[in-house]
Amino acid sequence: MSAVELSRITFRYPAADHDVLREVSLTAEARQVTWLFGPLGAGASTLLLVAAGLAPGLTGGTLAGEVKVWGHRISTREGRAALQGRVAYVTATPHLQLSGMASSVFDEVAFAPANLGWPRERIEAAVPGALARLGISHLADRAPDRLSGGELQRVVLAAMLVLEPVAWFLDEPTSALDGEGRALVRALLAAEAARGAAVLLATEDAELGLAVAHEMVLLTEGSAVARGAPDDLLGTELMWAIGAGSTGVAELARLAALRGPVRHPRLRPPYPLTFEAAVERWR
Amino acid sequence: MNPRLLALIPTCVALNVVLGRIVSELGLPIFLDTVGTVTATALAGPWVGIITGLVGQGLQALTSGQLMWLAFAPLQVLIALIAGAAAARRGYRGAASAVLWGALCGLAGGLVSAVISYAVFKGATTGGITALTALFRWLGLGLAAAVSVGSVAADILDKALTFAFAGAVLRALPVRLASRFPVALRASGRE
Amino acid sequence: MIAPRPSRVAAAHPFTPLVASLAVIALAFLLPAPAGPLALAGALVLTAFLVGDPRALLPSALLAVPFWALLFLLHALLGDGARVAVGPLRLSEAGTALALTQGARLTAIIVASVLTVRAFRPPRFVDAALVAGWPWPAAYLTAATLNAIPRFTQRAVQVQEAMRSRGLRVRGSLVTRARALVPLAVPLMLGALHDVDERTFALATRQVRAEGVTRRTPLRPPADRWGDRAIRWGACLAVAAAAAWRLWG
Repeated sequence: MSAVELSRITFRYPAADHDVLREVSLTAEARQVTWLFGPLGAGASTLLLVAAGLAPGLTGGTLAGEVKVWGHRISTREGRAALQGRVAYVTATPHLQLSGMASSVFDEVAFAPANLGWPRERIEAAVPGALARLGISHLADRAPDRLSGGELQRVVLAAMLVLEPVAWFLDEPTSALDGEGRALVRALLAAEAARGAAVLLATEDAELGLAVAHEMVLLTEGSAVARGAPDDLLGTELMWAIGAGSTGVAELARLAALRGPVRHPRLRPPYPLTFEAAVERWR
Repeated sequence: MNPRLLALIPTCVALNVVLGRIVSELGLPIFLDTVGTVTATALAGPWVGIITGLVGQGLQALTSGQLMWLAFAPLQVLIALIAGAAAARRGYRGAASAVLWGALCGLAGGLVSAVISYAVFKGATTGGITALTALFRWLGLGLAAAVSVGSVAADILDKALTFAFAGAVLRALPVRLASRFPVALRASGRE
Repeated sequence: MIAPRPSRVAAAHPFTPLVASLAVIALAFLLPAPAGPLALAGALVLTAFLVGDPRALLPSALLAVPFWALLFLLHALLGDGARVAVGPLRLSEAGTALALTQGARLTAIIVASVLTVRAFRPPRFVDAALVAGWPWPAAYLTAATLNAIPRFTQRAVQVQEAMRSRGLRVRGSLVTRARALVPLAVPLMLGALHDVDERTFALATRQVRAEGVTRRTPLRPPADRWGDRAIRWGACLAVAAAAAWRLWG
């Protein structure tokens, strides 16, 4: 059994005239980071909402197919109850993911545990650990609305981490972050996968995906068109055929191959994905 | 309670406060401090509007240090009920119908607030309206009449603009977003 | 908005000043005029000193003065009936008494409100409400709304500055200013409604609607001492006594 199983998912928002997802089937394994990649509007955000059990419940719309997270059908009430407080969902806009009522970072991270009715002693034991893992222990007493975007995103991640989720669904989690913050997220996702969680990550940031993902799924126009290891897929022409693009190094290598003055077998796809790989190829 | 409503209600109360402040900064002779309540009602129905209005009234009375404004709570319920009736009858489908519903709400609301101003505040409420009341009083009207004329005149103008404003926002809201609120499409005549 | 200040009120259970303030409102209208309201206003001024926050009287005075001025204008100057000469003015006798009564009522309510709000801390209030068994949405809406207002004010200022820097006129005739309102307010409202959607997902993920949970855990439940309970019961009894006296006395 895979930790996350989507079978033949078709989804349409209310009052919309087309399906955003069309018969998508995909799986994400425990202990792995699965990366959703595709051009803007390919349906990755909606797919995460469906997988996290937020759509159609909170958006309306029609869903066909079956979504299972750790064996529970998350689109049903029983399924959501079984997974209550064990699913993390993170987006690119940290200020909109705050509780809206906490007056300190500590209370912000304690929000979900308190809502779940954890005893106070358990909350007081768990929150400092989550803050420490994101390197924000020093912010515990600060007001969330006085923090920078990067600090806020760490608070939001800590607020999820404290629940020890069995599945993470992340939609562009690093777009509010600087280099240091991105490295932290990379390490966090790797550690969460190692702990045993299933991680489903949608990001346009090919360097991040390449660095952290075990598997990638290519999405275009609401359909999953390919699946494989990022190393194998990311350098192929398919990436440009669907308009997704690739890492900066691969983009350059492709430009050199298509527009450059030289023709050479080593310039052909698959293109090198990193600087090291490019150097290796010409050695 | 649905998380969508938990997110919507504080937002709409904040819109009441903030638009009220923008209007007073621009020095306009209206309040627009119920536009969030009317919008909440048009998106999610009269109950949500009533809660928005009451939460807003309660917290504004508290944070302004003037708990006597709690006396105007029945007015919030009335506004939400009329805004809800307008939503059920597609009242926000165009500017003209929104203005008419708003004027109706202003007339009813003005009378109710006149009763409250007269009974609880003896005519002295906020500066602008009291100035109007004083003017009518000076012109020879009795206190009850002066309070009603002053507050109804001000309220009709204010609520007509408030409803027109809420309607404009509702119609500008993308269908994809509007369709996630229970009554928004019907209220704006798109269903 | 009135800035928070530490005082003996802030140390009390959050419900105590609220209940006491509501009792002051009731008493202001139940006690016999004009002596009752005047005595009540005096008692509240004294209370400000007793609880260690006499500075609350300054914002209270600023809030009360316009009411006194308007009441004096409406009732003492423009009132009906017999006149008395006070210096160069000829005031209505009944009107002056009414202005005094009403002014004292509002003053008492304002002083009580200002003392309460200067001591009001939303997180303590939420925890108190949870312990008291309030429904969670009511507690959440109270705290989240207080949180949202400054956030939106800040955003309104940003929108306003952006519009100004693009040459939007916010001064001028009534029509010019009314026109300026639309580009200021519409983007603010549309943006706010757009954000509601994302916040909805976040709140659901953060378990605002957890099933099978009997009560959200209060993080720091405030102490409810016997003094607090005595004040609250005393306030309720005073209102009941005043109401009974008014009805049958």
